[in-house]
Amino acid sequence: MKNFIANLDYFFKEAKRIIFLNKLSNIFTFLGAVLILLILATVVTGWSISSRLVRMLEEEAEISAFFHEDMDENEVFALAEDLDKLDGVWNVRVVDESEAYERMEEILANDAGILELFDDNPFKAYIEIRIDPGQIDSIVETVKDYKDIDYVRDNRGVLESINDIIKGIKTVGTLIILAVSITTIIIISHMIRQGIYNNREQIKTLGFLGASRMFIGFPFICVGLLITVIAGVLASLVMMLIIYNGYLAMGGSIPFIPLPPKGNLVTGVTLVIMGVSIILGMAGSLFGLSSIKEH
Amino acid sequence: MIEAKEVSLRYRDGTLALNNINLTIGEGEIVYITGPSGSGKTSLLKLILGMELPTSGTVKVMGKQISGEKTEELRSLRKKIGPVFQELKLVPGRSAIENVMMGIRFLDFSRQEIKKNAADALEKVGLSHKAHSMVENLSWGEAQRVSIARAIARNPGLILADEPTGNLDHDNAINILNILTSFRQKNTSVVVATHATHLIENQKNITIIRMNQGNISIEKRGDEA
Repeated sequence: MKNFIANLDYFFKEAKRIIFLNKLSNIFTFLGAVLILLILATVVTGWSISSRLVRMLEEEAEISAFFHEDMDENEVFALAEDLDKLDGVWNVRVVDESEAYERMEEILANDAGILELFDDNPFKAYIEIRIDPGQIDSIVETVKDYKDIDYVRDNRGVLESINDIIKGIKTVGTLIILAVSITTIIIISHMIRQGIYNNREQIKTLGFLGASRMFIGFPFICVGLLITVIAGVLASLVMMLIIYNGYLAMGGSIPFIPLPPKGNLVTGVTLVIMGVSIILGMAGSLFGLSSIKEH
Repeated sequence: MIEAKEVSLRYRDGTLALNNINLTIGEGEIVYITGPSGSGKTSLLKLILGMELPTSGTVKVMGKQISGEKTEELRSLRKKIGPVFQELKLVPGRSAIENVMMGIRFLDFSRQEIKKNAADALEKVGLSHKAHSMVENLSWGEAQRVSIARAIARNPGLILADEPTGNLDHDNAINILNILTSFRQKNTSVVVATHATHLIENQKNITIIRMNQGNISIEKRGDEA
């Protein structure tokens, strides 16, 4: 460790020298890293916004359970409590006849007058169950099996669509993040390998003199880290500009997509990009360094 | 210090560089390896440094066997050796003192010791005035002295020098040999491969290994040269 600290200035000087030894190639690598991290920042931003959309969609996933009409209020609430304990059930609420009527009035809006044609309230009370859309099949089957439940209205088509959308967003996001990460690692490790090739004689000599892999390799790790971290800072700044201008252009929000608070989004994306930059820089460097052969 | 038993070295192209040699070099011993080009001098030094592995036989350096030596152990052995390579192996783009410092940075020296050892070593080889010159701007003879400075700055237990006087004038060559042999006082063994037999004619208390086509003959020279 004493040795390592005594050589810190040497490591950074070497890193600088490695970068400048192949300046043009490293500039392109740097620009490539900026663009890749910018793509990653865009994906993370989109992911963050779509996560809110997913949460909103998930919250909309509900089924309605209609119970026997002869049940009294206490029995209904006891049944609701039972249903609330089921796996995959997020929230349960009893909707009585008058609330069901009011809801329909809201839905019909200007056409609500049609409801006045009925002498009595035509709507039945039911239990509204908000669920994890991924578990719809098992929940519906379980609820149906309750002896006090007459039937279940599950809106299966809508819920399955919601589930597909959620799965799609998650899969595409994961794939893009994976692709960007792998590309960054390949680019950085290729750059490190090129640096190793350009410095192969020096590396061999240090090996013959007894230098450790760590001593030989640390300047290369510094190069990888330096390039990805600076690229990360640049990508974060560009993304910040895009987010601020984007929010400005959209006037703060789009009615059907709830945008997260601007400040939170910028902080979150910056933290993710900087964290990923460090990890990818380190991983790429180590991957590139693995090509140093022992002599 | 160094023990070679029935060692042969054959390169991949079939060239037999060393042919069943036996050799023992003790602590503080000064050894000159002489012989014509291609006789196996450099191969023998490479074998001792672990740059080549014997095809057959065993080589022990400072108690560690080179054949089958693990990388980490080989590295720790090399830290105790001060090599002077025939092709110098200096790192371009660095000054003379940076090259010397680079060779000792990973040894157990403090920051101050690294600087001091490097400066002292350059002074010993008479290159203090060129300490901050880039090595590519030095003459071959000067670069050779930088390479020697890098070896002696390490305070090694064993110095292996391949043609360290090859490009030096007579006075500088004698000076370099004197510097190298002075390490005997520290019980450091010195093995020098050289063409320049005239430089060692008057040296005392040395061992001369004469090589020819991979074979060796050993002459021990005492106080009376």
